[in-house]
Amino acid sequence: MHIPDGFLDLWVCLTMYIITTIFWIFSFRKTKEILEEKHIPLMATLTAMFFAAQMMNFPIIGGTTAHLLGGPIIGITLGPYLGLISMTIILLIQALFFGDGGLTTFGANVWNMGIIGVFIPYIICLAIVRIGKNTKSLLIGAFLGALIGDVLAAIFAGIELGISVLSFPYSIQIAVTAMATHHFFIGIGEGIITMIILSILMRSRPDLLELPKAAPYWLGEFPKILISKGR
Amino acid sequence: MKYGKLTIIGIIISIIFVIIGCIWLSLSVETFDEIAENFGVKENPIWNPPLPDYELPGFEGNVLINTIIGIVFTIVVFIVTYSIGNLLKIKESKKSK
Repeated sequence: MHIPDGFLDLWVCLTMYIITTIFWIFSFRKTKEILEEKHIPLMATLTAMFFAAQMMNFPIIGGTTAHLLGGPIIGITLGPYLGLISMTIILLIQALFFGDGGLTTFGANVWNMGIIGVFIPYIICLAIVRIGKNTKSLLIGAFLGALIGDVLAAIFAGIELGISVLSFPYSIQIAVTAMATHHFFIGIGEGIITMIILSILMRSRPDLLELPKAAPYWLGEFPKILISKGR
Repeated sequence: MKYGKLTIIGIIISIIFVIIGCIWLSLSVETFDEIAENFGVKENPIWNPPLPDYELPGFEGNVLINTIIGIVFTIVVFIVTYSIGNLLKIKESKKSK
């Protein structure tokens, strides 16, 4: 889902950079308020793990491939603002060293994978946990959040490509449909991986799931009740 | 499980991902690349990366070198994230207030 240089019109690149920069500012501010020593090993481990996971390209349909994003699990365990910082590190290293994703399209790629792919899973998971208030709801929320987050990230990539009429002469409808359909399958895989990692953390280190999450104030606290039940 | 153990397990899983990615799942055909190809749209990179497509120039297709690159950069990502985390964490003095 890494959009390379040359696929998006300049105005789309600039708009995405501006929107993403606003999120970066909020992320760094919020992170400085809540980030404790305990967060760092988990953050670094998950970031490295999903940098590596993005190297696995799974065959989907029509001879194309897709990779896991990693944003959902990082967002759900550490909060979306920390997830955004992790995904920014991954995407920056990929763009600078490997040419995986462009530099002009970096803002758009961060928006798709680091903001949509992180905030949406967190919000969906939070909503389902508030309804269910148990570990099962956490796992269901994580699965659905990851699935919907991946598909929405792909839809946004399709919209960015579709509105870039000068660079990408393909209608928005076709670009969005192709991206969403193809990424639905990888979204299922992302959902399963997210559930597995959460299950492992619930059993081995439930305290890590109780760490304060770097999330917008208006979303409120992530319920802690489910962790004690998971033990 | 202590943090060290968790980190080691995470790094081992990452290395397994890299090996799988380099040996069996290395072929990347992004959906929009496929669409773009049909329309003759080409990438227009503004930057020449040192390791394009995760490969060392001159050693393209060499699974061993690609795997080493993947592992090295996984560790680089870990170190960079850890360092940024350390820079951003709440200072002890601030926390005790």
